[in-house]
Amino acid sequence: MIQLRAVQKIFGRRPAVEDLTLSVPRGEIFGLLGHNGAGKSTAIGMMLGQVWPTRGEVRVCGFEITTQRRRALQKVGAIFEAPIFYDYLSAQRNLEILSHYTAPTSKQRIAEVIDWVGLSGREQEKVRTYSHGMRARLALAQALLPQPELLILDEPSDGLDPEGIHEMRGTILRLHRELGLTILLSSHLLNEVEQLCTRIAVMNQGRKVFEGTVSDATRRRGWVRLRAGDFHQAAQLLKRALLITDDRDGKLIALADGVGTDRVTRHLVEQGMAVFEIAVEEETLEGFYLSLMKRGKAGPPPG
Amino acid sequence: MFFHQLHNELWKLFGKKRTYIGFGMFLLVQNAMLFGFHFSKGFRRLYESALAGNGYLVDDYISALTVALIMLLPQIVLLIPLYTGLIGGDLVAKEAEDGTLRMILCRPISRWRLLFVKWVAGVIFSASLVIALGGMALLFAKMWFPWQGLFVFFPEPEHIFAVLPAGEGLKLYAISHVFLAINASTMMTIAFMFGCFNMKPAAATILAISFLFLNLVLESIPALADYRPYMLLYHFRSWMLVYGQPIDWARIITALSVLGAFNVTCLVIGGTAFHVRDIKS
Repeated sequence: MIQLRAVQKIFGRRPAVEDLTLSVPRGEIFGLLGHNGAGKSTAIGMMLGQVWPTRGEVRVCGFEITTQRRRALQKVGAIFEAPIFYDYLSAQRNLEILSHYTAPTSKQRIAEVIDWVGLSGREQEKVRTYSHGMRARLALAQALLPQPELLILDEPSDGLDPEGIHEMRGTILRLHRELGLTILLSSHLLNEVEQLCTRIAVMNQGRKVFEGTVSDATRRRGWVRLRAGDFHQAAQLLKRALLITDDRDGKLIALADGVGTDRVTRHLVEQGMAVFEIAVEEETLEGFYLSLMKRGKAGPPPG
Repeated sequence: MFFHQLHNELWKLFGKKRTYIGFGMFLLVQNAMLFGFHFSKGFRRLYESALAGNGYLVDDYISALTVALIMLLPQIVLLIPLYTGLIGGDLVAKEAEDGTLRMILCRPISRWRLLFVKWVAGVIFSASLVIALGGMALLFAKMWFPWQGLFVFFPEPEHIFAVLPAGEGLKLYAISHVFLAINASTMMTIAFMFGCFNMKPAAATILAISFLFLNLVLESIPALADYRPYMLLYHFRSWMLVYGQPIDWARIITALSVLGAFNVTCLVIGGTAFHVRDIKS
């Protein structure tokens, strides 16, 4: 649904996005992670034809955004952080105004969407009377009006209270499940991304430093947690038997190629070593993300 | 689709309270001026000398039409540029500042089309402001002064002196408002053009008004008298020429052509700037 190829954006002399290649397949919830200023919003701006790329190609729904913007955005809905509306107009009027930039939209469709986001009965009230949560729901309504196939959400939970965040998370899952939408979610709420997304890309200083599945990111490949009677002695025994290649932190071992935890356990027991626990080490997305940020402009994903 | 979008732009424009500042100020200023005219002897004396010197009776021409026309002058020079500049500057720049422009531009509408719709809405606003200005001036003047002939006296640089029966005067008064609406739209277009660049709405308004004042200053320099036809204000005065006897249609048509070309130029410059700029929060 979205393809970015070697995209670069420079504001003045400052590069905001460098050599970004990204692919969001149909039907996925794709997370875009990064600090403030990492280039996420600029990348989203380029996907929506609001920011012109300095170099590279951006395709949305199969169309090149700079030359075929109208066709590319025909089936796209978007929400930005802190949704802004015409506060002095009613929610209904706001939706009418925004929908007419896509195509004539019937009152019935507007009513359907208002109902879907749970704002029925409040649509005639002026937006200035709305709470932040209601504005977020209205933002979702305007994004859904053109019956999109792709939804781009830029920090949709920004400024919401915990209940609002939970509700937004449920809504995103519902949109994916019930309407089959492809969703690009930009967020720095890592647990939100971990719960929602199947694939993620991490950006740092304008560059993509990781792209892969969430399980790729959270699995510390090669590292196995070992609790034995004497860890250091156990590690020496395993190294001598060429079953592991490395150990660290007094609890982690790196298995040699083709070696499984069963062989390690058997060898230690045969050597009279007590083994209390052996398990593939998993990392939280937060830990993974922070290690990526520390490494700065990293190359390939850890493995 | 275009009319749907235009309808929505008008909703946005006329839904804002600040859009009505101009209308409200006209109401106050006109009534204050009428109050002054009605009770001031100086005003009557001024026109008495001009009329009596040409053999006309002052009582026949100090009328609602004459007073309405006199009231237009300061408002055209000061208030119309201010309010049309304010709205012209707001149309794009305020939406960019507020963030609603980002909401619009994630829709499949071309930037050129969006600008054109907004500009047409601005032209409608400018025309309605001028119609309100003229209509209210005449309405309020009618409450204080009798319905009689129209006396027109525009001193330098146009030198127009005319006395007209009420029917003919009303007709020319209406026609002159068409030209005033074109002037107001041009002022709006200048501010609109500046608003298409990456700047605050107030900056766009100030730049547009500064441009007008620069024209005013240049035009008032005697050494530049030969260059007046190259200045915007010279062409803005086409509305006055309507009252000339005979009407200088050649100059009016020239002025309209120049203003038309000026508007197109502003739109192209503003549109190009808007098209190439990045819209970010």
